[in-house]
Amino acid sequence: MSTEDRRPAPRSLAEALRGRDDASLGRLLRGRPDLITPVPTDLTQLATRAGTRASVVRALERLDRFALQTAEALAVAADPATYDELLGLMAGDESDPAVVAALPHALDTLREQALVWGGDDRLRLVRTARELLAPTPQHPSPTGLGPTVQEATAGMSPGRIQEIVTTAGLPSTHDSVSAVTALTGLFTDRRRMAALLAGAPADSLEVLERLVWGPPYGQVTPDPAPRLRWLLDRGLLLPTAPGTVVLPREVALHLRKGLAHRTPEPVPPVVEVKAAHRPQVVDSTAAGQAYTALATVEELLKDWDEGGPAVLRAGGLSVRDLKRTAVALDVPEPVAAFWVELAYAAGLLASDGEADERYAATPVYDEWLELPAAERWSRLATAWLAATRTAGLVGGRDAKDRTLSALGPGLDRSAAPEVRHRVLALLAGLPEGAAPEPESVLARLRWERPLRGDRHEGDLRTRLARWALSEAELLGVTGRGALSSHGRVLLGARATPTAGKTRVARAPGGDRAGTPSGDGPWADTPGDGTAAQAAAHAPSGPGDKLPVHHRGHPVTPLSAAEQAVASAAAARLLAPLLPEPLDHVLLQADLTAVAPGPLQKHLADMLGVVADVESKGGATVYRFTPGSVRRALDAGQAASDLHSFLAAHSRTPVPQPLAYLIDDVARRHGRLRVGAAGAYVRCDDDAMLSEILADKRAAALGLRRIAPTVLAAQADPAGLLEGLRAMGFAPAAESAEGDVLITRALSHRTPPRTAPEPVPDGPPVPDDTLLSAALRAVRAGDLASTTPRKPGSAPAVNGELPRTGSAETLATMQAAVLTGEALWIGYVNAEGTASQRVIAPVRVEGGFVTAYDHTADEVRTYPLHRITGVAELAGDAD
Amino acid sequence: MNGPLIVQSDKTLLLEVDHEQADDCRRAIAPFAELERAPEHIHTYRVTPLGLWNARAAGHDAEQVVDALVQYSRYPVPHALLVDIAETMDRYGRLTLSKHPAHGLVLTTTDRPVLEEVLRSKRIAPLVGTRIDPDTVAVHPSERGQIKQTLLKLGWPAEDLAGYVDGEAHPIELAEDGWALRPYQKQAVENFWHGGSGVVVLPCGAGKTLVGAGSMAQAKSTTLILVTNTVSARQWKHELVRRTSLTEDEIGEYSGTRKEIRPVTIATYQVLTTRRKGVYPHLELFDSRDWGLIVYDEVHLLPAPVFKFTADLQARRRLGLTATLVREDGRESDVFSLIGPKRFDAPWKEIEAQGYIAPADCVEVRVNLTDSERLAYATAETEEKYRFCATTDTKRKVTEAIVRRFAGQQILVIGQYIDQLDELGEHLGAPVIKGETSNAQREKLFDAFREGEISVLVVSKVANFSIDLPEATVAIQVSGTFGSRQEEAQRLGRVLRPKSDGHQAHFYSVVARDTIDQDFAAHRQRFLAEQGYAYRIMDADELLAES
Repeated sequence: MSTEDRRPAPRSLAEALRGRDDASLGRLLRGRPDLITPVPTDLTQLATRAGTRASVVRALERLDRFALQTAEALAVAADPATYDELLGLMAGDESDPAVVAALPHALDTLREQALVWGGDDRLRLVRTARELLAPTPQHPSPTGLGPTVQEATAGMSPGRIQEIVTTAGLPSTHDSVSAVTALTGLFTDRRRMAALLAGAPADSLEVLERLVWGPPYGQVTPDPAPRLRWLLDRGLLLPTAPGTVVLPREVALHLRKGLAHRTPEPVPPVVEVKAAHRPQVVDSTAAGQAYTALATVEELLKDWDEGGPAVLRAGGLSVRDLKRTAVALDVPEPVAAFWVELAYAAGLLASDGEADERYAATPVYDEWLELPAAERWSRLATAWLAATRTAGLVGGRDAKDRTLSALGPGLDRSAAPEVRHRVLALLAGLPEGAAPEPESVLARLRWERPLRGDRHEGDLRTRLARWALSEAELLGVTGRGALSSHGRVLLGARATPTAGKTRVARAPGGDRAGTPSGDGPWADTPGDGTAAQAAAHAPSGPGDKLPVHHRGHPVTPLSAAEQAVASAAAARLLAPLLPEPLDHVLLQADLTAVAPGPLQKHLADMLGVVADVESKGGATVYRFTPGSVRRALDAGQAASDLHSFLAAHSRTPVPQPLAYLIDDVARRHGRLRVGAAGAYVRCDDDAMLSEILADKRAAALGLRRIAPTVLAAQADPAGLLEGLRAMGFAPAAESAEGDVLITRALSHRTPPRTAPEPVPDGPPVPDDTLLSAALRAVRAGDLASTTPRKPGSAPAVNGELPRTGSAETLATMQAAVLTGEALWIGYVNAEGTASQRVIAPVRVEGGFVTAYDHTADEVRTYPLHRITGVAELAGDAD
Repeated sequence: MNGPLIVQSDKTLLLEVDHEQADDCRRAIAPFAELERAPEHIHTYRVTPLGLWNARAAGHDAEQVVDALVQYSRYPVPHALLVDIAETMDRYGRLTLSKHPAHGLVLTTTDRPVLEEVLRSKRIAPLVGTRIDPDTVAVHPSERGQIKQTLLKLGWPAEDLAGYVDGEAHPIELAEDGWALRPYQKQAVENFWHGGSGVVVLPCGAGKTLVGAGSMAQAKSTTLILVTNTVSARQWKHELVRRTSLTEDEIGEYSGTRKEIRPVTIATYQVLTTRRKGVYPHLELFDSRDWGLIVYDEVHLLPAPVFKFTADLQARRRLGLTATLVREDGRESDVFSLIGPKRFDAPWKEIEAQGYIAPADCVEVRVNLTDSERLAYATAETEEKYRFCATTDTKRKVTEAIVRRFAGQQILVIGQYIDQLDELGEHLGAPVIKGETSNAQREKLFDAFREGEISVLVVSKVANFSIDLPEATVAIQVSGTFGSRQEEAQRLGRVLRPKSDGHQAHFYSVVARDTIDQDFAAHRQRFLAEQGYAYRIMDADELLAES
């Protein structure tokens, strides 16, 4: 902060935090949302919480490799360290320019995440972080450095130390402390150290060479060899435990030319482009795949329509059912598992909760089916983006060696949405149509979250990323490996990527209208945004003279509302790429019908009944068989309907053998039928109608004969159907267009179900509203407890309630409503207990004030007569 | 994105024939996709590994295949499919069989892990000899066919560059006096000769024998011709004498009755596969001369033992002739590995359009069983059911009506059951040719039919294959071998030979309604419907009323 120079240097993390502005605190809380759950009362509490082990571990896990390396370097540096010391550790004696350029940013990140505080002259790593990262014999540091000379000589006899000092060519001193200091001084002096080592035997140098990059510990026999003895005598190796020696940190650093890490990685690995396709090709391939995705999900649920597979007792789908599904969908099992999980995540299927539990489509599925294709896709894609369930795990085993089954428990991986989003964001960073080399994407992800790798389940993040890449292709988010333009929009990026699309947090002070729609959150360009940040919070020092790096990622995860907008936009973009449903087929003499593209739904449904599907893909080939025609007749069609249906929808004349087939099958088929439109009954057989009319039970239906083969009914279609069925007939319902309604009585549905909630890791990232509110609360609480009151307005005696007259109270309140300022009030509740609160009045009316109470973190209403007095907060004065 | 081709997920390709680019597209995909069905509007091609390797063998690469699909496809082609195609095609040619000056036949690879993989297979191990260098392994010359077959099954088809022996030379010329090879026949001969060995697919009646003769004239060496039966063997001999410089004495017949071995020998599958006491006594025929060319007629009927013998003949040129590569036993891959890849293919309709085979009108006549027949049918034993419905009396009346209608034209009545044929022969006053008819008698009757002395001939299934009845314009099928698609194609082939007067051919199939006869008929006719021969269906009553 620009004012920082004038202020005294902070003495604690809390003070350092207090010195930060709202935007900077906002970034901290955004990065570490666990700090405001629940909202701390003041910054001291916030600082305490930021120092807890769990929170620090979490924060360290979120660091990229270079920031982590910087933190590790700080952990082995003096406490506090200066910027130059740190730079020496990171860039080495040769001052690697890349490191020099990147270090200020890494340090900013650490400061912002409240892992490091203090100015460049006194950099301090938060104590917990230091404990976690500093090397100990039990937990060697990733730096491979050992303890300092001072630490390693802690238990050594003064006589031995003097011996070492003398052998190393230093004058002996009168106490151990100064001896150690002199030794340290020698080891850290490059020139004198070089001279010392120049006299070392070659095989002793070889020993050092072996230990220099760690681990720094070595085994020695009670009677060490001369090459070891030479080193031990000069303190270049120091004994730690019997039989063990260690290379002191200073010596190692000298040998490493000052580097704390063998390979500092200041620059993230570049995502390499494997192939560049034309964007149109990518989009159309992705659209084709998107269409396949829809068809596959529909096919899956159609397959399960008449009673899906049973739910295992432990939950999930049995291996056999998954295999069967895979065969039915003609895909490998892992892919089948993906589709099943996708449908589940989108809320399209669930267990029905009956006694013998089975999976079935949900009512949402029926609604989904009615949507246009592009919207159906965006529903799937949105569910996929947010899902924490990972289909890739299916078939594997959990920690207790139980098989993980599709739809079963234990598939939630909270990192999945983040990794998925990150992978796609990296793809979005490439030029349009460019497909990345998958390995380079994975390397980049490992760089961004080094601590999150390796630890769980064999590098879970890498596996998640691989799955994300293949699933994106399956879903049609990518095509030929490159992000499609609708995929890009789905992520919330604009159709054309720009290198530094940075989303900057809105300052919580309310300096910008808080509507999340439109371009509001996106308006900041890296230029103004980051420059402002740099000016706002970068401490003076080498850092602020360097170009400021982009903060955060080019594309950040969207809030639910923003995602809905983005999904709708993606759907609009995808819609024209999806094939238009056709209203015709080609009929051929070999009794096949070919639909040269997707069919309109009613046509596809009807054909699905009259004929068997023989081959699928871009087109569909149907085959008419006596069995399929009979099925259509069973569904209530008459031969003449089939003829007219085929004639109406065929581009070509109906082949004679097909017409013959229908007539031949129809010849022996029964033919009673009922129409639903306006409640009528029609039947080719007038005798049957006479029979119905004559039946006493039909009286309630109010039947009237209007033509030899048609009856009109007073009853509604449903009642009519029921009535006729009760009489022992088997009528079929007809739609208003005269087509038979294909109502699958057997379609199995669950009761309404909600889709599974994603299980995020830790509390959600707060949105801007919450964030600014929380910040105000913390600040206000902080002010309430620490800031001196404005002189003259109220007695600043600690613990005493502010006192003002009721008129002044009211006036101050009303003024505060207009300015949005927070006030400090004294309040006596119904029990007579007095308290001090900091509130931001929203409304004053009818003797009550409605205000956001920062102390309680909610909006409350206070009767004005219970407020003892009001005072402005002193902090607002300057 | 408005091409004529639709790529399906099951790797079939649908080609819209009325599309303006359909012809270009057909040419582009024909090298690698097998035409499966060719009905009137949408032709179905199938992409199989075999087809892709065929294309590789013919010198096409994956790039061309992918380009063809992408260029003509109406919808985006799934990326996975393109990758799969490229990978499949890439498997061909990693292994090659060739002649090594010092080690004889060797298997070499351009990709060492592949060689390691196949050498680890238990089935390959006994077929190879010593490892010459990391990329080369010796192969026993006698296992050349066996190893190709096995490698194909392992998914690593080997390219056979080991060449052929020339065989014993024998002068053979085509005697093109007053006739000439048709362009497509020339093309077929050329493709075959260029490729070394392989299969030529031509419709019935399109002159496969002449492709054989043309190839012999190219080879100019002793030739062994394998045919299905004796009648067919005589037919070949007759044709060869007429069309080439060969004389009667140069052509031998090796059948059940005669055992002649001459420079050109025609043998039947039957005699080769005769087994006595567990051995095939006639197998020595293959070694009896140094054959330069072996011709397999009707490859789709090649019996399994002949495949085994063929595996040993890989150094000789092999020509397969067939109307269809569809084998009811699914051994298409053996044809590919042992005889060779498909070298020439022309759709029936295309050749018909060029006027080389007669257009045909196919009609299925459905007859109703009488009530008493239906009762009898319903109570018949399962194995008797087909015989019963196929030989119903009503069929006789219908057959007579058709014969009456085409009085004066050359009519063949074809059936399965001898009783029925005898009875029909009696009613129609026509001679009957069946299994027991002597060959001399058959020849006599065929000659008489050819000369027009008899206009109606009733034949059993002995006439299914390879007899040339040029002037038959009407065929009436009263019963068949259950549901054989293959037989149906052959029978239609009987009437497809071009007619001197450009007359339309008629093919009637008489079927009993609502019985398994109808089901079998549906199965049989499917093949032809898929070849573009649309069936009309008529009621017997309608037909009887007309006449």
